[in-house]
Amino acid sequence: MENLEEKIIQADSLEALERVRVELFGKKGILAAQFAKMKDVPGPEKKAFAEGLNKQKAALQQAFEARYETLKAEEIEALLKSEAIDVSLYGQVAQKGALHPVMETMDKIIDYFVALNFSVEDGPMVEDDFHNFEALNLPKYHPARDMQDTFYFRDGGLLRTHTSPVQIRTMLKEKPPIRMIAPGSVFRRDYDLTHTPMFHQVEGLVVDEKGKVSFANLKSILVDFLHYMFGDVEVRFRPSFFPFTEPSAEVDISCIFCEGEGCRVCSHTGWLEVLGCGIVDPNVFKAVGYEDVSGYAFGLGVERFAMLMHKIPDLRSLFEGDIRLLEQFR
Amino acid sequence: MIVTRSWLNEFIDLKSVSDQKLYETFNAIGLEVDSMRKIEIDPHVVVGKVLSCEKHPDADKLNVCKIDVGTGVRQIVCGATNVVDAEYVAVATIGAVLPGDFEIKHAKLRGVESEGMVCASSELGLPQMGKGIMILDESIGTLEAGRALNSYETVADTIIELELTANRGDCLSIYGVARDLSAALDIEMKPFEYKQQERMKVGIAREAELHTNGEMDADLRYKLATVSHYENAFLIALRLAMVGVEAEDKLAKLLAYATHTTGVILRGYESKVFEDETEKAIVRPTAKAKGIIEIIGNAEVQSVVGVCQAEASVAHDNTPKLLIEASYIHPDLLVEAVAQTDLKADELYYKTSRGSNPDLGFGLLFLASILDRYTDINCYEGSLDVTVEREQEKIVVDAREISSIVGMEIEINRIVTILQKLGFGISMMDDHVIKAKVPLYRHDIKNIQDVAEEIVRIVGINNIEAKPLCFDEKMRLNDTIARYKAKRAVKQRAVGVGFFENVSYLFAQREQLEKYGFEVLTEALDLANPIAEELNTLRSTILVNLLNAVKRNVSYTQRRVPLFELGAVFDAQREQREVLSIVYTGQAESESVVNSGKPEMIDFASFVEKLGGIVGSFSLRPCTAENALIHPYQSADIMIEGKRAGYLSKLHPTVQEEFGIPVTFIAEIDAEVLMPQHINAKPISKFQGVYKDLSVVIDKALGYDEVANVLASLDLPMLKKSYPVDIYEDEVLGEKKSLTIRFFIQSDEGTLSEDDIEAVMSTVMEALRSGCQAELR
Repeated sequence: MENLEEKIIQADSLEALERVRVELFGKKGILAAQFAKMKDVPGPEKKAFAEGLNKQKAALQQAFEARYETLKAEEIEALLKSEAIDVSLYGQVAQKGALHPVMETMDKIIDYFVALNFSVEDGPMVEDDFHNFEALNLPKYHPARDMQDTFYFRDGGLLRTHTSPVQIRTMLKEKPPIRMIAPGSVFRRDYDLTHTPMFHQVEGLVVDEKGKVSFANLKSILVDFLHYMFGDVEVRFRPSFFPFTEPSAEVDISCIFCEGEGCRVCSHTGWLEVLGCGIVDPNVFKAVGYEDVSGYAFGLGVERFAMLMHKIPDLRSLFEGDIRLLEQFR
Repeated sequence: MIVTRSWLNEFIDLKSVSDQKLYETFNAIGLEVDSMRKIEIDPHVVVGKVLSCEKHPDADKLNVCKIDVGTGVRQIVCGATNVVDAEYVAVATIGAVLPGDFEIKHAKLRGVESEGMVCASSELGLPQMGKGIMILDESIGTLEAGRALNSYETVADTIIELELTANRGDCLSIYGVARDLSAALDIEMKPFEYKQQERMKVGIAREAELHTNGEMDADLRYKLATVSHYENAFLIALRLAMVGVEAEDKLAKLLAYATHTTGVILRGYESKVFEDETEKAIVRPTAKAKGIIEIIGNAEVQSVVGVCQAEASVAHDNTPKLLIEASYIHPDLLVEAVAQTDLKADELYYKTSRGSNPDLGFGLLFLASILDRYTDINCYEGSLDVTVEREQEKIVVDAREISSIVGMEIEINRIVTILQKLGFGISMMDDHVIKAKVPLYRHDIKNIQDVAEEIVRIVGINNIEAKPLCFDEKMRLNDTIARYKAKRAVKQRAVGVGFFENVSYLFAQREQLEKYGFEVLTEALDLANPIAEELNTLRSTILVNLLNAVKRNVSYTQRRVPLFELGAVFDAQREQREVLSIVYTGQAESESVVNSGKPEMIDFASFVEKLGGIVGSFSLRPCTAENALIHPYQSADIMIEGKRAGYLSKLHPTVQEEFGIPVTFIAEIDAEVLMPQHINAKPISKFQGVYKDLSVVIDKALGYDEVANVLASLDLPMLKKSYPVDIYEDEVLGEKKSLTIRFFIQSDEGTLSEDDIEAVMSTVMEALRSGCQAELR
């Protein structure tokens, strides 16, 4: 019997083990032959004989199963080994594209204001003088119109020079209180290293009862917003002038490149200008027929944010569809 | 606007104010500092007194000078021709290091020893000032040989370039900037006092007369003088160079200097252009239109107030009799009037259009002070004046209202102090309210919010504490947000199947659009002032922009260019709509070990598959779109929910060749159909279904879309799906082809029987037979 167990142990493949199984446990196998001898065993010994035989069978079965486990594991291991590949070869196969950094930045900005329960509004790109200038306290011949070199159409229409006309349209359409942003493309007749004829802005407007909305409120939201966008930066407000707000301010953040030390990007000032804002001028409210209200407004250039956040050196490269730039944002 | 520290110092004492403080203050009060530069001159550069100057024995162009530099007399060789006129010069002595790390050492020039260098302004880091070396005079202070040039604060000055906002015409002068600083720094202005020396006791009326014609919108004041000699005024020339103001001759320099200092517009005329036969100057200001005042002399327009001056009337250093004019016109009036004429404005218009200083007396008095100092002048007594009565704006200012605009408590006393410093007249109305009279030079201030701005500027925004706004909750998720999110999802899907997002200009080239058969704006609606030929109209498709981007990428040796853009396009009537445009050029996948570095090029099937990843389910039928980009035999209309949503095509080989790019597929889809639709779920059958294939022979020319139409028209609830799985053509079939369609049959009510299946399939076959002349294969 011992050499039967030896047979099991010596089976060196699952096939060999299967042959041993048939030889031992099959219908015509060795054990079956042993059990057949039972009938010749005298009555009183039968019990002991059967017990001995069953014990042997159980031991053999145990040996068989142990061997089977071992051989199976070896086989799987061999199979796995045979499927080995150099995984590092396949890193280049990935196929994902990328959103444009300007659009992704715009999304990030929108997310902030939507989370603060601002509505998102839009309006046409082809505008008229009233919505783009007149209603925004930019009467004809106002010197501030020079700041925004405008594309005109032959019929007197124009391409909006800022997203501010969306404020006017929204105020004409809805009653206060208003909390809105207007993201979109804007157009100025300007083309050089730092200007493109089209770029993107996000504009914000909050209008509520008279006496309710103050410059301190404007400061609060913008400081918070700039921390959300740029992390731990210092924020500085400088008085400025925009026809549609009064008082007005420009907002700077401490330079994220040199951390305020002074570098080429911040023209050695340590500050980067990122926003314009102010308290809505009463003439703007007059133009849309609002009375006894107060409000603040702000606007920013998305390209500027994207360039600062991602350290993109060249504005014009953003409009060239250059995959070498875009694939960095996968 | 460029100012210098020492120049400002003439009107406000800045001794206790550092450059850094000055920089911070300017920014804090809204006069943004563009640049600030302190001029540093090596202390080895000193005042030198030229004792003698002789021609170099061996070089025509060189002079050998003996110069007293305080510590002794040095022999210095100088190449500048103007050194012969010089008494005092700037000498870089041995050891001086000039900008550009240029160290002055002993030298021998053509055999002559030279111990130093006589400097030109630019060699010291000062602005360029004409040709040759700098000739110093006592306009900068007492000159002593050996005194370091750096010790003259007017020379080693700090030059500050301010970026003024369009409303701040009042700061287009040194005086105006000083006034703003005075309010911000709480330092009193130095009063300007000067007693003009009118040496000639003859009244101006004896020699000149003023005859106005029409309603005068401008203030004018004329003085008459004779000037016989102009001295060099180094300080004037230096400061004008520092602030970048150019002037032709000495008189022009003095006028420009006075204007830059005071903000008053000053012009010099040859008196003779106004003189009649009795040699009396007759000046005739004539109202040409509202805001346009012509100054007529001898029936000729000699100038237009605030706009320009005729060249012939401009006075020069050799003008025997000089008529000086100071003028003011309200900028709003002027700008509107000038916009409606074709007058060519000169460099003073920048100031007049933004608001020059209306205090003509101050401007003329300041001019007199420098004319007296730097010229031999004889001035006639008195002046000829036109004065316009102007109502000063009065604003009722309530401290509580100011506080609520600012969001911070601001006391009335503080407001009064600030406004007074800024030149406002104040009268108290009650404990909280004042009436503020706006000075004429602040034409931009018209209401309480304008006043609030002044208060905010001077208080400093950075001193206002931020406070969050309390507001009433309201649902603000509107359609625009929903659309925006849907578009973002579309873009994310495109990114997921490998496309890069492109952003291109809304513009296109009209000729290019026309060439490729796209719609163009009706001419009457097109751009009037395009910025460039290639961007002369609005785009009616994004595909051409994308192909231009593909071309650039291919030129950078990109082999696979998958791009999309979701944006606006315009039809002939300039109606705006949004489309999703897609291009795919070159290799269908990236080069890798998977394809041994030789991927297949993009083809119809793989392009459609990618499109499916973006758009979702759609069907294709023969293309009805028409333009020159479309390949007539590999193009299709994209049908979504039975509606035509756009098209896709292989790029026409001719266009492909023109752009010089590899095989390319294009698609343009109306963004509207990509917006999510509301979906109601259909019940799902619990019973097993079966797949059945059917091969039929049909005409070669018959498109599958027609087969699909026939199948779609069947009213068979058990026929859940059908789609083509094989197409086969050979010579035996001739003008026919074999099409295999797979059907999925399933009942919602029970297990399918053979009869059920047979019934469906025979109905299908019957329909194909009659609808498509199909035969069983």
